Amino acid sequence: MDGVSMTSRRKILVIDDEPDVVCYLSTFLEDEGFNVLTARSGSDGLAEARAKVPELITLDITMPGISGIEVLTSLRRDPLLMNIPVIIITGVSGFEKLIDYRKVRPPEGFLQKPIEPETLLEMIFKLLKPEI
Amino acid sequence: MSDDRNNLSTDSISFEDIFQASPSFMSVQGPDLRIISANTIFSTTFGDNKGRYCYEVYKQRDRKCLNCPVERTFADGQPNTSEQIITLPDGREVPHIVYTSPVLGSDGEVTAVVELSVDITPVRQLEDKLRESRERFRLLFEEAPCYISVQNHEMRIIYTNRRFKEDFGDYTGAFCYEVYKHRGEPCLNCPVAATFHDGKSHNSEEVVTSLCGKRMNTLVSTAPIVNAQGEIEMVIEMSTNITEIRELQGQLTNLGLLVGSISHGVKGLLTGLDGGMYMLSTGLEKDKPERVDKGWQMIRRNAEHIRSVILDLLYIAKEREPEFEVVPLHDLADNIAQMLIKRAEDLQIDFQVDLSDEVGTCEVDPKSLKESLINIIDNAFDACRVDKHKESHYVRFKLTSDDDNIVFDIGDNGVGMDRETREKMFSLFFSSKGVEGTGLGLFTANKVIEKHRGTIKVKSESGKGTVFKILLPKVRDKSDQ
Repeated sequence: MDGVSMTSRRKILVIDDEPDVVCYLSTFLEDEGFNVLTARSGSDGLAEARAKVPELITLDITMPGISGIEVLTSLRRDPLLMNIPVIIITGVSGFEKLIDYRKVRPPEGFLQKPIEPETLLEMIFKLLKPEI
Repeated sequence: MSDDRNNLSTDSISFEDIFQASPSFMSVQGPDLRIISANTIFSTTFGDNKGRYCYEVYKQRDRKCLNCPVERTFADGQPNTSEQIITLPDGREVPHIVYTSPVLGSDGEVTAVVELSVDITPVRQLEDKLRESRERFRLLFEEAPCYISVQNHEMRIIYTNRRFKEDFGDYTGAFCYEVYKHRGEPCLNCPVAATFHDGKSHNSEEVVTSLCGKRMNTLVSTAPIVNAQGEIEMVIEMSTNITEIRELQGQLTNLGLLVGSISHGVKGLLTGLDGGMYMLSTGLEKDKPERVDKGWQMIRRNAEHIRSVILDLLYIAKEREPEFEVVPLHDLADNIAQMLIKRAEDLQIDFQVDLSDEVGTCEVDPKSLKESLINIIDNAFDACRVDKHKESHYVRFKLTSDDDNIVFDIGDNGVGMDRETREKMFSLFFSSKGVEGTGLGLFTANKVIEKHRGTIKVKSESGKGTVFKILLPKVRDKSDQ
């Protein structure tokens, strides 16, 4: 299976409040053949996830309003969304300490900004379930 | 049995025996101060002395002493005491205390005087040691490199050391809380009161204010002073000035905060920069001019931001001196507006630019002034960006002037600020944007406007928006710059 057929039409939701980061990630992932949804806040991200049920979510931590940690917690508690793999993409060091893993399942992936796009792609390939 | 022994004692020992056996010099002198009789130790020490003048023997003088106690007793018939220096035959001078007593004849007249002279060298030595040790303790107390005060039960100051008097004044008798903290009532959790209560030493950190109004952080230790009955009579309080340590600690904390906030902010900007590069290169590859343009804007925007963060940092790291030059302010403001129009478009903010071209020129540091205005307008953009409660947002950038000032007016209908944010907004490292902000921008902007002898007026209401008015004097005051 080559890259394009692996990624074709597969939905990824990018949640980040920085327009430049959203633009970068969505363009890059679209170029790689994904169907990219975007949201510029935690609440928009949750709404978009519930409406369109993506197969993977990239999530920023520090956002005005609902933070990425709260988004992760809500995703994990939602029966419809709880199994979607989440990759945290953040500039905050040591953010892991902010999450109580006794209550929330850890994110499937974690990347520090600035990111290496190839590393992100590898991580996505690893986390996406093969299409049936 | 004991009575028998007493009888035996008085019977067998004569006054002559006591006189001779006395361990101190004893002599009997006549009215002309000649020695009539002397005891054994006197004779052993001074040799044959009968008939000689006492001052010849005792002091090796050739005339009588001033204030001679023997002479006084002859005159008043009373016992007398005085301190004298006796010169021994080997030349040593020894302090003695001299007691004189009259010997009365049958007619009641003083016929002779008995003189008892006791060597008080050990007493003198003890006195000297005591004086020395007192002086040492006084020096320790006075010169200790901390503030020392002794307080009574009422919290009144009884003693203070030199350093205390220098910095807090000589207020013996005043309440310690008045002197240390300019308070009208005792402090909560007073360590002195705790020591009076339990007799133990207590420590605390206090902020005190000196005579000249300087605030200091002090580390206070107390100890009880107990009297012979074991009661706590007073409490000694020692305060060490740790202001410098606390300041250093503050600076280190700030440095840590700085590194943390800068690194997070810069990481985000680098991602934006990477994004711009990606858009630019793939746009060129795929021949998509729109993408190239978007990428170029992203690079410009993020590079500009990084530049601004670095300049802020430089400003803080080394208070950069402004470089003043005469600048047409309309052009400067227009340049800023052009730089920010694209960002406003991206954020779908109505950027209302209204720049009067009649403000003329002014002597300013264009670089730092431009950075400061961009910082404030950027904050206005952010305040709109995070506001989810309004349909549309605007940021106003207006340039006008009155008789004395150039006025930059920057207003927005973003989230606004609550009271705490308003009070702290110019503080270093305070950011209302959480980990997204560096807390450098407004701090630096305020410094820059201060350097221009200008003022920043802020009106803001939570949920409604914010107005910044920056007033710069048209004529630069060059004093003290």
